[in-house]
Amino acid sequence: MKTLILLTATCLNISAATWTDHFSFEKIPNPPGIDPQVGAMGALKDGRIAVAFHRGEVMIYDPSSSSWSLFATGLHEPLGLLVEDDGSILVMQRPELTRLKDTDGDGAADEYQTVFDDFGMSGNYHEFAYGPAKDKNGNLYIVLGVASNGAPIRKEVRGNFLEIGQVDRAGMTEGSDWKTNSSKAGRMYSRVPYRGWVLKLSPDGSKMEPYASGFRSPNGIGFDASGHLLITDNQGDWRPTSPLYDVKKDGFYGHPASLPWKKDWDGRDPLKVSVTEFDALQQPAAGYFPQGELANSPTMPQIIPDGAFPKAMAGQTLIGEMNQPNLVRVLEDEVDGTFQTALVPMFDGSPLGIGNNRMAFGKDGSLFVGKTALSWPGSNGILRIKWNAKPFAFIEKIKALPNGFALRFSEPVDPGTLGEIAVTSHTYKYHVDYGSPKVDEQGMKVNATGLSSNGLTLKLDTGALKQGYLHKIALTGLRTKDGQSLLGGTAWYQAVKVPTK
Amino acid sequence: MLDQMLVGPSLAEIRTLYDGKPDEFVKWSVAPQRKRPNVIEMPSMVHVGEEGLRAIHEHVMKVSKGVKVREQKEGDPFAGSPPHVARPQVQRIFMPDAGPAAIAIALDGNVSLCWDAGECRLRYVWTGGFIDGHPYWKGNGSSQAKIIGKVRYKESSAPIPLGEPSEFLGYRMEKGLPVLRYRIGPQYVTETFSPLPDGAGFSRKFTLDPPLKDAQPLTFPSDQNITYTSDKGKWSGSNLTLQAADTAEFTVTFSLK
Repeated sequence: MKTLILLTATCLNISAATWTDHFSFEKIPNPPGIDPQVGAMGALKDGRIAVAFHRGEVMIYDPSSSSWSLFATGLHEPLGLLVEDDGSILVMQRPELTRLKDTDGDGAADEYQTVFDDFGMSGNYHEFAYGPAKDKNGNLYIVLGVASNGAPIRKEVRGNFLEIGQVDRAGMTEGSDWKTNSSKAGRMYSRVPYRGWVLKLSPDGSKMEPYASGFRSPNGIGFDASGHLLITDNQGDWRPTSPLYDVKKDGFYGHPASLPWKKDWDGRDPLKVSVTEFDALQQPAAGYFPQGELANSPTMPQIIPDGAFPKAMAGQTLIGEMNQPNLVRVLEDEVDGTFQTALVPMFDGSPLGIGNNRMAFGKDGSLFVGKTALSWPGSNGILRIKWNAKPFAFIEKIKALPNGFALRFSEPVDPGTLGEIAVTSHTYKYHVDYGSPKVDEQGMKVNATGLSSNGLTLKLDTGALKQGYLHKIALTGLRTKDGQSLLGGTAWYQAVKVPTK
Repeated sequence: MLDQMLVGPSLAEIRTLYDGKPDEFVKWSVAPQRKRPNVIEMPSMVHVGEEGLRAIHEHVMKVSKGVKVREQKEGDPFAGSPPHVARPQVQRIFMPDAGPAAIAIALDGNVSLCWDAGECRLRYVWTGGFIDGHPYWKGNGSSQAKIIGKVRYKESSAPIPLGEPSEFLGYRMEKGLPVLRYRIGPQYVTETFSPLPDGAGFSRKFTLDPPLKDAQPLTFPSDQNITYTSDKGKWSGSNLTLQAADTAEFTVTFSLK
């Protein structure tokens, strides 16, 4: 009997930890009659959640009564919202940034104020608009997706059409021989102002500054807790795999279609400029989501508030993901002033599912995840995820060292399992083609001897880190002292810069 | 998806095309071509490599064995959605014969209009219903909404000849109808459409702040089946002349013949 109990206990101890042991996943009821594809989400001060849907409704969900109320209707593909201090809601819809205000206190918006619409639209379906993100001074940042050669432009456009490249306006317009012309237009194109740009707006929207260029399909913009403007983009042409950028003023972030809108651009067709020239011009990604493994279409960044998840995660950033059934947690590092990250999965292998487009935290620490598809793979509706306050093992922090990594865990690690750690590194090819295979993928020799006496920090010696390479640190075989596996046990660290000491 | 077309063909459909044809599957994956209008062309999967593509082919054939392609339902599953059936109604969406920043407005169950927020002007009015937005909404915006009914009135330019570049300022909802606001040069303009009883047409109230300094002729199209009347000014054919002070607020009524 004693043996049996011991055996059972041992079996329990070595069973892999699961997210459902620590989090509940509850689908909240969709508002009746509404197409439940979620384009934008944000928390109100009182704990209610504002949700913008595909067909333009903005609805408020009250978790205390599980009820919905209609706040606004008729918006054009809202893909971002920001709740303001006075309860009004800024919404980024395709044609403009709009402030929705309830001035008569009846619970629904009566003012639809245009805050900013001074950017071009060609009518191409892929010209989505995202944001706003707000900095500490109240400035607003929006980012504009470029058009896809999956379709031409419409006869009427908003903004000045740019006559550049191999196809003129007539050839770019619906009704032309698009089968022939599309191949010369560029896989993604920017023919009206500031497609592919981040625009910085003054708090009232009256002043605009073209802030940064080089974006393709940047379905995620937000500040992290320390003030970095984070933007995610999607794998595609000029995007070897989906990147995470720390966006700075005047930076160029890799997709060249946007460059002709640069003030001093010399008029060349971006399709005729050498890769070498763009490569020298571009700012490096602060992180990469390996395609098919971590994320294919990452979405919005969301800061984890204090108290929602384990303490060590407070202030870290979560990123949504459309195609892989997981979210992504960002572990930030800094090397000689260069911001770089390790990305780890969150809720992988849980009931989360795909289509995770937008997020908001409720007052009780619940994470609301809004889903969409827009005819791509995805889902719809809203999932509420709540931590049950039971501690679990996860990676708290990863710091790059000249010859390896320093890791910190939330639970003491069993030294007997250190031999299970594997590290590989690879890079990608920056080119006009759609995506890139892994380049120069190699295993690194791991010497994991530097475990602290309390089992919480570990120094991994891998030999010299490779600058510009993505380092995959597989900790899935690692166990805590009580036999638990890590939740989110693989990290991808992008060594933008390798520390010298 | 296994049995239904989503962004690309279902696995079951791929099976009907490539069962027993791994070479052709690899060829298609490396150099895909547009097979259907209005569907995105798959990017080349050349980076997966021949070995990987053959493995994918084998997997697809395995999982799709015996699976039938599911027919997709036609029509808008949310056509009866409360915000869609409400009248009046405002819906921003890609519209035919307008700029991309279009606003569709249903004044009542019969009269609807398309107002262009890019150009700050009315584009056209139709009767018989509102819009079918499903062509847009079922996908990602690659199709425009369709109007339900018949176009009865069109404008090719704004009737107030102010001429300066315009700035759209948004709208305020009053009794379900938008008071559209825009600026043309120094003039702040509001424009409010209301239905006439029994679907007979619509009225259009303008306010200008400040009012114009001089008397102004407003030009409306002459070749339309419309009877124009107004609460201020004098008509000469389809031209309305207002005294400067009258431009502060005036209403034009459009009776459909």
